Amino acid sequence: MSIVSRLVSWTKAILTRSRLESEMDAELHFHIESNIADLMKGGMSREEATRQTRLEFGNPDVHKDDCRSSLGLRLWDELGADLRYGGRMLRKSPAFTAVAILSLAIGIGANSAIFTLANGVLLEQLSAPHPEELRLLSWISGPKLAMNHLWGDTSKTATGQYTSTSFSYPVYRQLRGDNHSFDNLFAFKDISRFTVTIDGNAEVIQGEMVSGNFYQGLGIGTVAGRPILPSDDSAPGGEPVAVISDAFWAQHFGRSQAAIGQTIQLNRIPVSIVGVNAPSFLGAQLGRAPQIFVPLSMQPQLIPRPEGSLLEDASYWWLQIMGRLKPGVPVGKARSDLDVAFDGAVKSTLPIKRDTSLPRLTMLDGSRGLDYLRRDFAKPIYVLASLAGLVLLIACANLANLLLARSAARQREMSVRLALGAGRMRIIRQVLTESMLLASLGCVVGLVLGYAGRNVIPNLIANSWQPNLLQLKFNWRVLAFTIAVSVVTGLLFGIAPAWQATSADVNAGSKEAGHATPARGKGLAGKIIVVLQISLSALLVIGSGLFLRTLSNLYATQIGFRPENVLLFDIDPPSTRYPAGQGVAVHRRLEEKIAAIPGVESVTLTSDPLIANDSSIDTFAPTGRTPHAGQPTEAWSNHVGVHFFETMSIPMLYGRGFDEQVTATSPKVAVVNQRLAEQFFAGENAIGMTFNSGDEKHPIEIVGICANTKYENLRSEPPPTFYLPYVQHEDPGLMTYEVKIAAVGEDVVNSIREAVRTVDKDLPLIDVRTQVAQIDATTTQERIFAVLTTALGGLALVLACIGIYGIMAYTVARRTNEIGIRMALGAQVRSVVLMVLRETTWLVGIGLALGILVSVGLTRLVRSMLYGLGPIDPATLIGASLLLFAIALLAGWGPARTASQIDPVSALRHE
Amino acid sequence: MGKQLDLIQGTLDMLILKAVSLGPLHGYGVLLRIQQISRERLEIQQGSLYPALYRLEHQGWIASEWGESENRRKAKYYRLTAAGKRRLQREADKWNRMAEVIAGILGTAPEEV
Repeated sequence: MSIVSRLVSWTKAILTRSRLESEMDAELHFHIESNIADLMKGGMSREEATRQTRLEFGNPDVHKDDCRSSLGLRLWDELGADLRYGGRMLRKSPAFTAVAILSLAIGIGANSAIFTLANGVLLEQLSAPHPEELRLLSWISGPKLAMNHLWGDTSKTATGQYTSTSFSYPVYRQLRGDNHSFDNLFAFKDISRFTVTIDGNAEVIQGEMVSGNFYQGLGIGTVAGRPILPSDDSAPGGEPVAVISDAFWAQHFGRSQAAIGQTIQLNRIPVSIVGVNAPSFLGAQLGRAPQIFVPLSMQPQLIPRPEGSLLEDASYWWLQIMGRLKPGVPVGKARSDLDVAFDGAVKSTLPIKRDTSLPRLTMLDGSRGLDYLRRDFAKPIYVLASLAGLVLLIACANLANLLLARSAARQREMSVRLALGAGRMRIIRQVLTESMLLASLGCVVGLVLGYAGRNVIPNLIANSWQPNLLQLKFNWRVLAFTIAVSVVTGLLFGIAPAWQATSADVNAGSKEAGHATPARGKGLAGKIIVVLQISLSALLVIGSGLFLRTLSNLYATQIGFRPENVLLFDIDPPSTRYPAGQGVAVHRRLEEKIAAIPGVESVTLTSDPLIANDSSIDTFAPTGRTPHAGQPTEAWSNHVGVHFFETMSIPMLYGRGFDEQVTATSPKVAVVNQRLAEQFFAGENAIGMTFNSGDEKHPIEIVGICANTKYENLRSEPPPTFYLPYVQHEDPGLMTYEVKIAAVGEDVVNSIREAVRTVDKDLPLIDVRTQVAQIDATTTQERIFAVLTTALGGLALVLACIGIYGIMAYTVARRTNEIGIRMALGAQVRSVVLMVLRETTWLVGIGLALGILVSVGLTRLVRSMLYGLGPIDPATLIGASLLLFAIALLAGWGPARTASQIDPVSALRHE
Repeated sequence: MGKQLDLIQGTLDMLILKAVSLGPLHGYGVLLRIQQISRERLEIQQGSLYPALYRLEHQGWIASEWGESENRRKAKYYRLTAAGKRRLQREADKWNRMAEVIAGILGTAPEEV
């Protein structure tokens, strides 16, 4: 009760302050007047009565102050006064204020931007009610997998087991039937490419196939039309219906209600739009934004496979399953219940041999849906966050140092205040208020910087041909984080100066006329801070050195082919139009058409483009040999066009490449790289040897051996690889075209587009990029780190420079007298300069040693991000040391010169 | 009229609550009423009355309202709130108990120990 009324009264007092003041005046005035009147009634003269009243009443101003205190306004008033005073102090030294606010803003802004990224990538949840109730099913199995095909993520645990979130449709059907612990078990699968045709224009979009109870299970609806319902998904073949995303709705239909009921072509199958998702709902896989949602039952029509429907295939595991726990069901019980059902489903749908490992059901947190973002980005974000934190710490140290120097200059002011009776707490509060004022100004500018920079990192991650899917939100969480960081920052850099201020000696301060000779300890505090600053900068510089060298090492590696002037794009003939067997023919026609374009030197196509984080592995069994223990039975494979080796400039070492004589029906042939030849046919001539890969009936003959090339990325060594002509593949599907051209330009791309259109006007060119850009895209993370650590390191160096300059200038000023005496006694200019520089060097030396020591401990953590160098890299350490010493000498030069120009006579007169 | 007594620390609040409980009063009226009831035996610092009034209002025990005084001037009138009434009751009880105990102690004769 009392607290509430106090709060109400306090708020009211603050909000109606001027009225409160005038009422207070009126009230006291009334009292005084009444008293005078009463006294006069008793026979006093007016003057006498007034005098008497004044005596009895006391000083009205004192009482008013007490009244304000009673209302709890005192702290508030003092805060206002402190702020006004602080503001005046900051205005008085604009250079200091600008440097302080800017360095804080950069530190705070960097942290805010990185938190925005972390917020979007690590903390974002599915846009569904109570996402924390959702669970994502997953399984873990021994090495002998029961299922033949896995489409989706699989990862190997430390103990050699496999885990995955992919299930077969028959297993899903049985789990759903036996489920008692979940409200709904719903399933989905993200399809990265659908070709959608609206009004004759073909376009590639992302889609998600969902079970009929998907919307029910997530508990979400649509903003227009209706969601996909169980009835859409019940019949095999399904209803040809689709729900579109808000973005797709806006892009193609201008958010018109008329979109509902329209028929569009999806992979050439007509489907009718029945609903539109809410703008916030982007599907069940985080970091993706599918534009179209269709029932799972449409799989056989939309993405037909020669092997038959995925809905009936028990050996093909591809589907993600999620569920919402029923209230009150413990997670452990739900898991064990469902595991029993899962075990039954696996045994009844798959042939289980004696040594087959049976998968066990596990449950993952489903609040983020299917989440690859955390796996991919958690570590880089932690590293970046620590680096940003370091920069902020350095900014703090810098500011603490500047404020310390200022507080030394304000010694006299503090002494006067103390002498006039200010309490120490009161002075600490005032100095802290000034620091907080700086911090909040830094916070405001930092927020602006952070907001402007929130998309810098996502844009660095995105590549030129794919849109940036990480649209980060600048929400209240970011705001709260930034404010919290600023408050902590303000306290951090404000406490030392505040403490310093109160240690002023009342007598000493006022006796000396302004330029005090402060205690020894003060110079020491500043030096410790500078050493700290240098060691933190050393950390950042070493980090940036490591990442820069990693990047340059990556680009210096031999990739084994020439990426210049090679244009890449993907063509995906939909299996709805080109059933098995016809894919090869359309690719052949396209290859010929493109080769005929003027300016095109040669054309090839590959099932896996090079250096694109993409590769295939297949069995490789030399005919008639039984592999001995430890020998691999697999090798990397790639289906390529006839002109692959000349287009990519890969030298053929022995034998020949492919030629036009190779057809689907001719004997099967392959080219292997040198590493494969060495690994499988050491000491023999591999040419003419045969091997089997999957197909036992048709052995493949090795006709040539080519040089090694890197395959998946720049980091891995060239793997043992065999190349097969794509024309001998029964169903190549999506292929990446590599076109060697005289010069990269828009008109070549247009000619190619035109050529493709003459073959099939519904075939879009997907992801047009150059091979060079493709390689760059695989080094995104390395480049981000190199760029950001270099930028942050540079920033740290500038701040350290200011810090060193400040402390040395301060030291020289303090020792003016001493240096004057030295010079009067015959010290050379040179020796004075050296004296100052020596001190600078000492500071840097200690800071550097500390920084290197800490870096040895920390860089181990980023070992996996480095390439071609260890975490303790002598070249980096030496380079960083030289750089820091150079900076230190630069920063120390000014004060050293000042010292050398001291005039002995005036210095001795100095005090 | 005997010699005036200084107010015992912390009792002013209670006296104001009591004064106001008898009917709404302006600040000067509170002073007059306390002097009147005490038959002028209490010395009250006039100025210190107002911080006390503001404190009591801040805590929600009295409420104020502008009105017209007996000589037709605008004055701020204070009245007791429900919470203030409970508060006064409690304070009075406490005071009475305390007074009783103290009086008991002071009234003890040597032979009673």
